[in-house]
Amino acid sequence: MSRGNKLLSSLLWFVIALLVIYPLSILIIESFKVSGTDGSGIQNYLEFFQDTYYLKTFWNTIVLSTMVLLVSTLFGIPLAYILARYRQRGKTIFTALILLPIVLPAYAGVFAFIIFFGKYGTMNLLLMNAGLIEKPLNFIYGFHGLVFIESLHMLPFIVLSLAAGLTSIDPSFEEAAEVEGASGFWRFITITLPLCTPTYLAGAVMVFLWPFTDWLTPLILGQVDFLPSVAYINIAYHFTDTHRKYMGIVAVVVSSIVCITLFLFARWWVEKRKYTGLSKGTTAEGRVIEPGPFLKISSYLYMFFIAALVLLIPIVLGLSAFSRRWVFEPFPTYWTLDNFRVILTESPGLISNSFLFSGIALIFGVVFGLPAAYIIVRTRVPGKDALDFIITLMLAFPGIAIGVSYLLAFWQGIPLATHWIIMPLALFARRLPYFLRIAHASYLQLDVSLEEASEVSGVGKFMTFINISLPLLMKGVLVGVVMFFIMAFQEISTAIFLYRGGWETLPIGIYLNWHRGMEFGISAAMAFLMIVITFILLLIIARIGGGILKAAWGGPGEGK
Amino acid sequence: MAFIEIRNLVKRYNKVTAVNRIQLDVEKGELLTLLGPSGCGKTTTLRCIAGLEKPEEGDVIIDGKPMISEGFVPPSKRGIGMMFQNYAVWPHMKVYSNIVYGLKLQKISRQSIKEKAKDVVELVGLQGLEERYPGQLSGGQQQRVALARALIRNPKVLLLDEPLSNLDAKLREKMRFEIKSLVKRMGITSVYVTHDQAEAMVISDRIVVMEKGNIVQIGSPHEIYDKPASRFVADFIGAMNFIPGEVVGVNSGTNEVYVRTEFSEKLLCRSIGSDVTTPGQKVYASIRPEDVEVFAEPPQAGDNLFKGVIANKAYLGNFLFLFVNINDTLIRVQAPHQLPQEEGQELYLSLNPEKCIVLPE
Repeated sequence: MSRGNKLLSSLLWFVIALLVIYPLSILIIESFKVSGTDGSGIQNYLEFFQDTYYLKTFWNTIVLSTMVLLVSTLFGIPLAYILARYRQRGKTIFTALILLPIVLPAYAGVFAFIIFFGKYGTMNLLLMNAGLIEKPLNFIYGFHGLVFIESLHMLPFIVLSLAAGLTSIDPSFEEAAEVEGASGFWRFITITLPLCTPTYLAGAVMVFLWPFTDWLTPLILGQVDFLPSVAYINIAYHFTDTHRKYMGIVAVVVSSIVCITLFLFARWWVEKRKYTGLSKGTTAEGRVIEPGPFLKISSYLYMFFIAALVLLIPIVLGLSAFSRRWVFEPFPTYWTLDNFRVILTESPGLISNSFLFSGIALIFGVVFGLPAAYIIVRTRVPGKDALDFIITLMLAFPGIAIGVSYLLAFWQGIPLATHWIIMPLALFARRLPYFLRIAHASYLQLDVSLEEASEVSGVGKFMTFINISLPLLMKGVLVGVVMFFIMAFQEISTAIFLYRGGWETLPIGIYLNWHRGMEFGISAAMAFLMIVITFILLLIIARIGGGILKAAWGGPGEGK
Repeated sequence: MAFIEIRNLVKRYNKVTAVNRIQLDVEKGELLTLLGPSGCGKTTTLRCIAGLEKPEEGDVIIDGKPMISEGFVPPSKRGIGMMFQNYAVWPHMKVYSNIVYGLKLQKISRQSIKEKAKDVVELVGLQGLEERYPGQLSGGQQQRVALARALIRNPKVLLLDEPLSNLDAKLREKMRFEIKSLVKRMGITSVYVTHDQAEAMVISDRIVVMEKGNIVQIGSPHEIYDKPASRFVADFIGAMNFIPGEVVGVNSGTNEVYVRTEFSEKLLCRSIGSDVTTPGQKVYASIRPEDVEVFAEPPQAGDNLFKGVIANKAYLGNFLFLFVNINDTLIRVQAPHQLPQEEGQELYLSLNPEKCIVLPE
């Protein structure tokens, strides 16, 4: 064991301790503080689980999670099947469109759907003008709207994980069932789906956890009785009411515990049931089917339907961004660049802040992620598995937990929060696993003998890394870099707790404009700007990684 | 009428023709092997019989019923059993559920399913493993599960797609005999695909040798080995010396052919087909290494006797493997290991005229 590796590992542990372990322990300590006293105890938790209101929000969140998972799975199964199995033209384009929500911020979708499906939104006005309905229908305000919007947002996770399963199943498993006399649907139910469960579960757990994380969507739709939303309101609006603050913190901790537990459970289950590697010696790339004319048309219609819903987001936001006074009309009539003028003249800082903070977070990400991937994949430093574990856990942590814990931890104690550096630090901590996972995956693909050959030739470890590993990892690293940047650029749930005047980012600007005076035009213009920037970044990834999907999702589910 | 008739079968992948107008009959109760290198179309042919591939042209007739020309019959309706190269034992089901999967789809009482399962489990020797998951079994055991699953419904036809290729050498040899005796005992018409010529020799009633989508020879293991139809077949099955030459004389009464080679004006060979009869034709005088006799001292005069020098030798335990140079032509020889031969040493070779055959170039 080289001393260098140990030193590197301790540096990484120091970062983890400072940016993850310390703030999260402060969060937990705070949740035990009793309002009005100096003491601490489990009173807050007892109250939380005895108070009918908090119990109701807890229950609501679980119901919402279940519904979102159910709906996205029901819609996702046929979609994944079409994308993974059917030989069809335009599959790549459809896949790209359908998976778009994964890179669009959730709040962008919410705004678009409010404009389109709202009380006097385009849909209702069109229906009323056509004389089909007399009073506007309530499409989205309420539980059903939440389920709809969050399901659409999480649909890509389900589709990607199912498609990954469908393409990686050894075709002979299904052929054997066919020969044994099982046809069509029965074969799908008894063989295909069960074999997909491990990959499905990996995606499903992320979907299930989303309602425990997303406080903003319910808030915008006027639904607050969900754990993260309640936590946000309690902490952000009632900071002086220490009792409500502590209850909010308890809600955050409870959400986090739910997330972590489910995440770990899913991981354990998936590990237990890994079916890959059981069969050997296949060359197949998965089954591809030529669908009959009826199936072909139905599948096209279905893909069109989902793609249209997804496309509504950028289109509606675009319409709204380039217009003003779009009220009580199905489509805007007054076109202007005013919204953008306002953004650029009155708050240019939003955009520059966003780029600055995400950029710095990205540098932290690379400086931390590459060595971490190296330590985890290539060395046997003690504790490297624990390092991997903690970083991976961050995937499951709600953003709100990190925001709140930073707020608590870095005001007193280590006063980092008084400086704007806290913003990129928080973004970095929140998206810690993303870059690492991609670097990790690229590292695994890099044959160790290439590095060993360099070392045998007399080149030291560090120069080997610079000369051999880094150039070979570059592609994966660049893709990881851009994905990280996109994620950081859109981050709101962490940043919302930490920003001070002058530190606002674009997502915060979107939120504030909506919140203050329902300045939908400006919010929409900002969200549209966000989508454009994201799209440009995605194009960059596509150029690097070849194939937009392969680039963005790292392989599975890509069309042919 | 044959039990399985393959008529004019054509299967293309994009522009590559994998199977090119194949005609083949499999008799009832026969164990027929499709043998050839990878990419020769053997697996594609098998998959067409199973119904896992739809051929572009032609028909497969099983027990008198056309599978394609009168509407495509899907695999699930063909009444076949199949073993896959990678076993395809479903990892999420226990051994028992794997075996009875197809049986459960038929309208059979639970009791009789249990009885049949018990019989087949005993038949393949999986007693006591019924409640295990495939992940807890060895490769050989998984293979038996696949066999049991293929046999439990008493299929009219058993298809085996390189079922032993993932097993280690020792187990593979053992399983060859087991599968053969089992299939023969049950009298199931079977088509076996392999690229392993030794396996094909051991297991088959008849062997079909395929090359580039075509059948190049059909025959019993004996016929294929002793009378290969072409250089390709001779080369693929066993080892063979190919000595290029030209026909200089033919004795049509006795099948005797004289060939001029680099080292001999008149090498005495036999023709096994009717196509090598004209003087001047370019041919290969072909002899298997084990049919070349080796003498340290010049023996009594005889046909096809030559002096050569040992160029290379390898000791393989039960015999010696020599490369002998006769006037710059290298001949592979399999010699008894008692012969104490050194490289560079001279010796005498007899190319047994009975075993030396001419093959068209």
